[in-house]
Amino acid sequence: MANRTDPSAKSIHGTNPQNLVEKILRSKIYQNTYWKEQCFGLTAETLVDKAMELDHLGGTYGGNRKPTPFMCLVLKMLQIQPEKDIVVEFIKNEDYKYVRILGAFYMRITGTVTDVYQYLEPLYNDYRKLRQKSTEGRFALTHVDEVIDELLTKDYSCDIALPRLQKRLTLESSGVLEPRRSALEDDFEEEEEKEEEEPPALEPEKDYYRGRSPARERDRERKRDSKQYRDKDRDRDRDRDRDYDRERGRGRERDRDRDRDRDRERDRHRLRDEDYGRDREREGRDRERERDRRDRDRGRHRSPSRSRSRDRRDRERDRDRVRDGGDYRKRHSRSSVSPRRRPDDNHEEPKKKKEKKEKKSDGTDHPDPEIAEANRLRASLGLAPLRL
Amino acid sequence: MIEVVLNDRLGKKVRVKCNEDDTIGDLKKLVAAQTGTRLEKIRIQKWYNVYKDHITLKDYEIHDGMGLELYYN
Repeated sequence: MANRTDPSAKSIHGTNPQNLVEKILRSKIYQNTYWKEQCFGLTAETLVDKAMELDHLGGTYGGNRKPTPFMCLVLKMLQIQPEKDIVVEFIKNEDYKYVRILGAFYMRITGTVTDVYQYLEPLYNDYRKLRQKSTEGRFALTHVDEVIDELLTKDYSCDIALPRLQKRLTLESSGVLEPRRSALEDDFEEEEEKEEEEPPALEPEKDYYRGRSPARERDRERKRDSKQYRDKDRDRDRDRDRDYDRERGRGRERDRDRDRDRDRERDRHRLRDEDYGRDREREGRDRERERDRRDRDRGRHRSPSRSRSRDRRDRERDRDRVRDGGDYRKRHSRSSVSPRRRPDDNHEEPKKKKEKKEKKSDGTDHPDPEIAEANRLRASLGLAPLRL
Repeated sequence: MIEVVLNDRLGKKVRVKCNEDDTIGDLKKLVAAQTGTRLEKIRIQKWYNVYKDHITLKDYEIHDGMGLELYYN
C-alpha cells in the first residue's frame, strides 16, 4: 500500500511514473531503511525538509548495491508527483544545492524536452561543489554544472536510465528553442577581438576571464571556497608531512628521518622570530610542491626536515634546476625556447609507423573469423587482443 | 585465451572468449556488449561469491569452459 503511486498521478512517458526506475533498483529502494523510516507518508512540503538534509548524491553503492537517500527521494517524488511549480521552485532556489539537483534530476526524468532545456540550462552557471558517492562507496568531488552537463548529454545517471532527449540543434532548427546564449559569451567576444590584435596564445588569460563571470556573488563564493580549501590544505600538509616522515618506513631512511625530526623540533625553538615568520610561508608552499614530487619519485632520497630554511630553499631550487631542464631554460632566458628534440626521433617515428601498418597489432585480421570478430569487439572496448 | 560460459538461468547463456589476465570488469564489458545489458547492472557470481571488478580471471582461477552465474544488480 505504501509503495503504490498516487492514484491521481498522471502517467509519464506512457507508463506509471515509478516504472521509470528499474524493477530491481525499485525493489532495493522499497527494502531500504531510509525509505521505510523517513519516506513514509511524505508530502510535497515535508519532502522539502528531507531534501534539505541531503548531503550527497549518487546511485547505488557497495557490494549489494545499496541505494543512497538521494535515490529514495527521487522515487518518492515520482510516487507523489508534485506539481511542476514545486519542481521549478526546487530548481530555482539558490540556498540548498542538493535540493536544486534533486529538482533538476526529477525534471530531467519527467519533464518535456523544452522544459528540460529551459530549466536545466541556467544551472550551467552554478559552480558549486557537490559530493558524489561512487559505486565503491567512496565520495568523489563534482560540481553542479558538471552534473547538469551529464544529465543533458548522457543517457544514464545515478543508476537510472534517463529518457531520450532530442538534440538541441533539432529543436533550434524547428524553432522551438532559441540558440543557447552562454553567460561567458561576452567574455569570449572580448577575447576574440584581442586575438585579432595579438596572435600569441591566450591560454593563461582564458582562466582569468572565466573568473570574471557576470554574477559577483558567485565569484565571492568561489573565492571563499578556494581560500578555505587552500588554508585547510596548508595546515593539513604541515601535519601530514610530519606524520609522513615518521610512518614511511624505508629502512635506513626512517631512522635518519626520525633523528632529523627530533633535530627539527629542537631547532625550531632556536629559530629567531623573523626567520620563523618567513619559514612558515616557504614551508607551506614548498611542502605542497614536495608532496606532489614525493608521490612521483619515491626512489629519490629526500630530506625535508632540515632545520635551516635557507638550505632547503637552495636544495629545492637545485632540484628544480635538475628536474626541469627545459623549463629552467625557459624561466631564465629571455627568448622563447623550442622543445628540445633528439636527432634520432625523426628517423624512428616513420619506421614505427611503417611497421604498424604491416602488422595489425589488434589481431582483427586473424584467419579464423570468430577470433577476428572477438578481437574487433575487444578493440572497440579498448581491451588488448586475445592471446592464443 | 579461454572461453567462459555465463548463464543467468532465465534464458541468457553467453559464451565469451577472453584472456586469463583480463579483469572481471573487462569480462563484464564483453558480456554487456553481447547481451545488451548495461555494464553496471551485471553481477557475476559463483554460488555466493560475488566477483569483484578489479581482480583478474587468473586470480579467481577461472579456467577454460568454466560456467559462471550471471545476475543483475
